[in-house]
Amino acid sequence: MIIIIKKKGNMKNISLIIISLCLYATSLFANEVNIFSARHYDSDVQLYEKFTAKTGIKVNVVSGKSGALEKRIAEEGADSKADLYITADAGRLGAFSANLQGGLTSSAIKSAVPSNFRTNKWVGIAKRARIVYFAPERVSGAELSGLTYESLADPKWKGRLVIRASNNIYNQSLVASLIKNNGKAKIAEWSKGVVNNMARSPKGNDRAQILAVAAGEADIAVANTYYLALMLSGKKGAEQQAAAKKVKPFFPNQDGRGTHMNISGAGLVKGAPNKANAIKLVEFMLSEEAQNHIVNNTFEYPMIKGVSPHPLVVNMGLDFKQDLKTKVVNYGKRQADALEVMTSAGWK
Amino acid sequence: MTKYNFWFFSSFIVAAIVALPILTVFSSFFLETSFYFDLLKKTFLYDYIFNSLTLLIFVLIFTFIIGVASAYFVSFYKFPLSNFFSWALILAFAVPAYIYGFSIIAFFENYGTAFTILTNLFGDFNYNIYIPKPDGLIGSVISISLSLFPYVYILTRSSFLYQSNNYIEVGHNLGLSEKETLLKIILPSARPAIIAGLALVSMECLSDFGTVSFFGVNTLTTGIYNSWLAYDDLNTANQISFVLLLFILVMFSLEIYSRKEARYHQPGRGFKPIQKIKLSGKKSLFVFLFCFTVLFVSFIFPVSQMIYWTLKYPKYFSDINILTINLNTIIVVGISSLILVSISLIINYGNRLSKNKILNYLTNFSISGYAIPGVILAVAFITFFSNLSDLVSENTNFGSTKKIFIGSIFGLILAYFIRFFSLSFNGIKSSYEKINNSIDESAYLLGYSKAKTFSKIHVPYLKNNLILVVVLISLEIIKELPMTMILRPFNFETFATQAYIYASQDLLEAAALPSLFLIGWASILLLFASGYILSKKN
Repeated sequence: MIIIIKKKGNMKNISLIIISLCLYATSLFANEVNIFSARHYDSDVQLYEKFTAKTGIKVNVVSGKSGALEKRIAEEGADSKADLYITADAGRLGAFSANLQGGLTSSAIKSAVPSNFRTNKWVGIAKRARIVYFAPERVSGAELSGLTYESLADPKWKGRLVIRASNNIYNQSLVASLIKNNGKAKIAEWSKGVVNNMARSPKGNDRAQILAVAAGEADIAVANTYYLALMLSGKKGAEQQAAAKKVKPFFPNQDGRGTHMNISGAGLVKGAPNKANAIKLVEFMLSEEAQNHIVNNTFEYPMIKGVSPHPLVVNMGLDFKQDLKTKVVNYGKRQADALEVMTSAGWK
Repeated sequence: MTKYNFWFFSSFIVAAIVALPILTVFSSFFLETSFYFDLLKKTFLYDYIFNSLTLLIFVLIFTFIIGVASAYFVSFYKFPLSNFFSWALILAFAVPAYIYGFSIIAFFENYGTAFTILTNLFGDFNYNIYIPKPDGLIGSVISISLSLFPYVYILTRSSFLYQSNNYIEVGHNLGLSEKETLLKIILPSARPAIIAGLALVSMECLSDFGTVSFFGVNTLTTGIYNSWLAYDDLNTANQISFVLLLFILVMFSLEIYSRKEARYHQPGRGFKPIQKIKLSGKKSLFVFLFCFTVLFVSFIFPVSQMIYWTLKYPKYFSDINILTINLNTIIVVGISSLILVSISLIINYGNRLSKNKILNYLTNFSISGYAIPGVILAVAFITFFSNLSDLVSENTNFGSTKKIFIGSIFGLILAYFIRFFSLSFNGIKSSYEKINNSIDESAYLLGYSKAKTFSKIHVPYLKNNLILVVVLISLEIIKELPMTMILRPFNFETFATQAYIYASQDLLEAAALPSLFLIGWASILLLFASGYILSKKN
């Protein structure tokens, strides 16, 4: 026998639940949904609690890094208890689609999510853009004017650019979209140019790239939109809040196809034992209530119409042109090519 | 004559279970690899080997210097707080290398803690460009060295304790200076202990996953993980594992060899305990500062950083379900270490009774579990049990058995068992061997049954040792990361997984609280065991 203290509602309301350490323990709860999540914001957990309160469906979570989670689902095969796989990149979902099944096709989902941000196996829950940040002290408006992702390879940025490593999925998806739009050979050359322009060998996460620009290590950085808002919010401390104010966002490719967009999304796992509940949860996450909760906690863009992003995100500018032409499903399809061109260019 | 009795079969089964992952890895060596292995060979394999070797060499250098120097100072000299340092220095063991890495980044990053301190002291200025950024390989070397040097410190120190003052007097009579005594007498006779410590360091260093992946350094271990995950290529993963295992087996043999050597350095007749030399003046200050710096950098610094963060971001007190994680940890650690120790004790007893050579080889083989990095073990574990399950369900009506082993508490405990069996088995064995066989014979003459001999004589004699082994294993399991990450069930976090997950999500400040709890538990265990660790060999 094993005793587990389970958090219900809030911390104060702790109740003891005794579960026998039987091998099929979880199958005792019939009304449940099992999530493998590579996104482990506490706000997501609160969201699941709201869902449980509304529907009575218990949400079980295994969190971890996306690779390990995907592997486990694949190895467990038909035995996997996983219903939904939630991760923060379309490239991941796309690459994993062989282990996903169709079924996310209810009218609620279809009407909420634009078609370029979903397939029948997975759908976007929230959006982000991968943009350029610059130090206004050192980068002039003229220099930035007409900036595209493609022009980041321009020698004028030599020693001035920071971007994270090539094993990062956000970069893989960005480069995949560039390959889709420009062809592999061109982007192989482009990768070399980018590597030449780097102010330092890639290290750290997106936030570290923005901070490097604030600290004067580089003039421009590539990072996702929500990181700046996160720092401006003060959630990362007063120092980073002050640092974030020294950096300005710039949305590339405005004269062309628009800025690179990506999603956090949920995929329906093949053989999901609680398929109906999983679909219910996805629909809930696309409801106005859930979307408001997400955008105000993670600083992502809402997936559905009628919900406004967090004010700090609104301040960064909303009237930019999004790339809605390049379907996000390409990020998974071109992932291997993207990794290949980056690594052959010496992009660490 | 070989006796195929109960003891033989029980040892055989345990040995077979523990050897499973190693056999899985070896058997796949001859399988076909995908295109990835070619790509890997062309691009990254040398990088992986280079990084692994560089990491290993620098970690060995640092752990040698820190471990041997601090052991030498506290064993041979008296200086302010020298007794305090002699046990406090092992606290570094409580801080896993990956958590040390979190502290480094937190402190040195742009606008990190160092920046805040400088700003508060000297006012606003862009200090960032002047603050060193120890990340990547350098950060990994620092983190791993500072969390592993206690291996060298503990073993070297206990070997120093067994050195007789006579040797040192001989040195003095021969007119050797203090430095010459150290180089010509003290260090050479402690050599087996130092090598054993360094061998343990190298095994742990090569198996490290959390630290290097946090710092984005590609080593053989992360290479295995990546080829398995990103390229779905288990064979390549296993083949890199093979290369890594060869590395590790060399270290492993070195360790066993050194331990055998060390046996000849038991104190004999005329043993005189070391007369500690009282230091004063500059020398005393230097030695004090050295030990203080080691303690400060290895323990006080990461703990302070974590405390600072926990206080700065109190929100996570309510967000993290600390109570549940505490309970999870206690349950898993408790069950696993009890099972490990009981079975090791029984197998040790069986070996003693049957004096069977084959049995001895079997158990020697099964101790290899500790040499296999946790990541490889988890990969091999999943491979093996999903293959087994397919085999079973194809040929019988039994259905799938995957759920029993993968993603269950049972599977997790089984994996811990495989990984830490050698630690617990050998920990008990070294003590068991000290009970002379004539004692058993006397007991039989007095009419004691075998069972009574075991329960009334062996167990009471081994009690302290058993407690020590339980504590050491609990310590390892609390710090264990990769296997727990890969194999744990739904809604199940330990301090290690919770901290690592937050850290990998760019929420280092949220990782502080679980990290602190982890360090706290580990410190309590260490302090509890410090009496044993520091007084005994092994």
